[in-house]
Amino acid sequence: MTAPPVKLHKSWNSRLRALFIRSEAVRGYTLLSPTLIVMAFAMCAPFAILVTMSFWTQHAFEIDTAFTLRNYQAAIDGPIYKALLIRSLWISGTCAIVTVLVSYPMAYYVAFHVHRRKLVWIILMTLPFWTSYLLRVFSWKVILGYNGAINSGLKSLGLIEQPLEFLLYSPTAVVITLAHAWAAFAILPIYVSLEKIDRSLLEAAADLGDGPVVSFLRVTLPLSLPGVIAASLLIFIPTVGDYITPTLVGGPDGIMIANMIQVQFGRVNDWPMGAALAVCMMVVVALISLIYIWVTRKMTERIA
Amino acid sequence: MDSHDLIARIKNRDINRRDLLRGMGAAGLAVAMSPAMPRLAGAAAADQATFFTWGGYDVPEFVPTYIAKHGEPPNFATFGGSEEALTKIRAGYVVDVSHPCNQGIPRWVATGLFQPLDTNQLSNWPDVMPALWNLEGNVIDGKPYMAPVDWGRTSITYRTDLVDLQGKDESWGILWDERYKGRLGMLASGGDAWWCAAIYAGVDFHQIATDENVKKVAALMRKQRPLIRTYTDDTTSLEQALASGELVAAMTWDASAVTLKGQGVPVKFANPKEGALTWVCGAMIHKDAPHPGKAHDIVDALLSTGAGKWLIGENGYGHSNTKSFDLFSDDELAALGLSRNPAEILDAGKFQVPQTQEFETAMNKEFENIKAGF
Repeated sequence: MTAPPVKLHKSWNSRLRALFIRSEAVRGYTLLSPTLIVMAFAMCAPFAILVTMSFWTQHAFEIDTAFTLRNYQAAIDGPIYKALLIRSLWISGTCAIVTVLVSYPMAYYVAFHVHRRKLVWIILMTLPFWTSYLLRVFSWKVILGYNGAINSGLKSLGLIEQPLEFLLYSPTAVVITLAHAWAAFAILPIYVSLEKIDRSLLEAAADLGDGPVVSFLRVTLPLSLPGVIAASLLIFIPTVGDYITPTLVGGPDGIMIANMIQVQFGRVNDWPMGAALAVCMMVVVALISLIYIWVTRKMTERIA
Repeated sequence: MDSHDLIARIKNRDINRRDLLRGMGAAGLAVAMSPAMPRLAGAAAADQATFFTWGGYDVPEFVPTYIAKHGEPPNFATFGGSEEALTKIRAGYVVDVSHPCNQGIPRWVATGLFQPLDTNQLSNWPDVMPALWNLEGNVIDGKPYMAPVDWGRTSITYRTDLVDLQGKDESWGILWDERYKGRLGMLASGGDAWWCAAIYAGVDFHQIATDENVKKVAALMRKQRPLIRTYTDDTTSLEQALASGELVAAMTWDASAVTLKGQGVPVKFANPKEGALTWVCGAMIHKDAPHPGKAHDIVDALLSTGAGKWLIGENGYGHSNTKSFDLFSDDELAALGLSRNPAEILDAGKFQVPQTQEFETAMNKEFENIKAGF
């Protein structure tokens, strides 16, 4: 019986394997690789194209690829872009607040007062999201319309003589529609953060003499803030760029920055300008989100 | 074991674990396979040519002989304005047939993305009115690029019971009337709206691109903007709003008025004293059309009397095939505001004049700003 020969040179294969076993980072990246590849091709590459294009110029159907900041200059100088961006931020901000306010009680009820079949409740809440986004926007058009459900209802009750025209084709209509369309994205994070709250803290609050209102304000609400913050960001960020809802229910005064971006790529046929506007919008939204996260972190630290 | 049997046995609790598993496995397999099945069934549709057309024209009635020949309609894709369509095609969207209008012909041809028609493949070509294809920029080296299909007007559809003309002639002024603030609708594409405003401003179409005239039209459209409830490419929205009384008047094409009249809504398609906007639209084939033969079949179908019957009877548009008009009596045509002689209609209004790409881009940009309130 002889001893097995000692390998002096490790093969590449086994060296890689050793690296894989030893290094946690390599293992992590390998596991992440499918996502990373998708991110690289579906997000980073298009984003790089968008940024590059924003420094070009369009002449009729030809694109001049000489570097220029003119599009950004136009985006900053043009009052229309600023006004549309501010309107979009205002609509999305309002929408985030409204959605969180409406979703909080629902999430609260399921977290604290439903004890059996919670999953069914959660599924029921997300039920409207099983239909297409477009269909939901159209149904709001029917509800808010001139002869829509709300107007006919109020009319038959004798509360109004003429249909309320501000319901449809207005920023209000955009806020209502978006708030409904994104509700699930608020309910779920808030529900999760409420569900995590240690119930003994509430008992302790009660034992120490807090009424339900005070214990909600001092215990439940602060502990659920992470969910509220996550929910408001989840709604604010994507709705700034929404263009279907304002197109269908916004009317002339309800159009948002994304509509302007869309027409640059469509009939206005100025892709570089559209790219510059899109980059500006992303930068502004990122800045606002960072400020928001920073402020809320300071606030939660103070509460803690 | 068929499914009824399985259900009955579950009800009677007369089932063993293995049978239940087998039944559930079959159900699971069926569910997993179901997304694949429509794809198998739909595979045939992918072999059809694609027709990129205006919203509302994407119906089988418009391509009757194509369906007769190939068993099913072509694939439809829609746009809200021809400028949007051209941008998409320029960006690399390859379709077999698209649907531009006379005003865009020189620019569409100049892109080099379209091929001249092989009229030998079009059985209906001899019946097409020559006046409609002999348009500015359409015939190069004796070959036409666009086969004219539909012609008509952009004007105002108004509620006869809600708009008071005060004894005056119909005018584009209806859409600028302060009394109807918030109850007027407009088409969102500059290809219609800007030109109609130019008519109201008294601008000569051959001079529409001069700085002075652009300013004049822009000023008029800015003045109108506070009065407008909605700018939309969706004619159905305008029709519904007119039917409910939400709008009293809107800029539309012939078809909206015909549709609404058919529903018994008291509307009229105005014949403004300044003149309606008139146009001829038609079919162009992409130079890289994946199905050149079927593309010609689509064009031929669009020229057939069947398509004409739908265009005239259901929509009140004119058709390019002389024989289509034989399907209707003079009275019927008069009721639709049509005539056998397109010149009577087209020359009575203001016929669009082709413009440069610079004008199109600048005009669309300005119109977007105006719509947004600037």
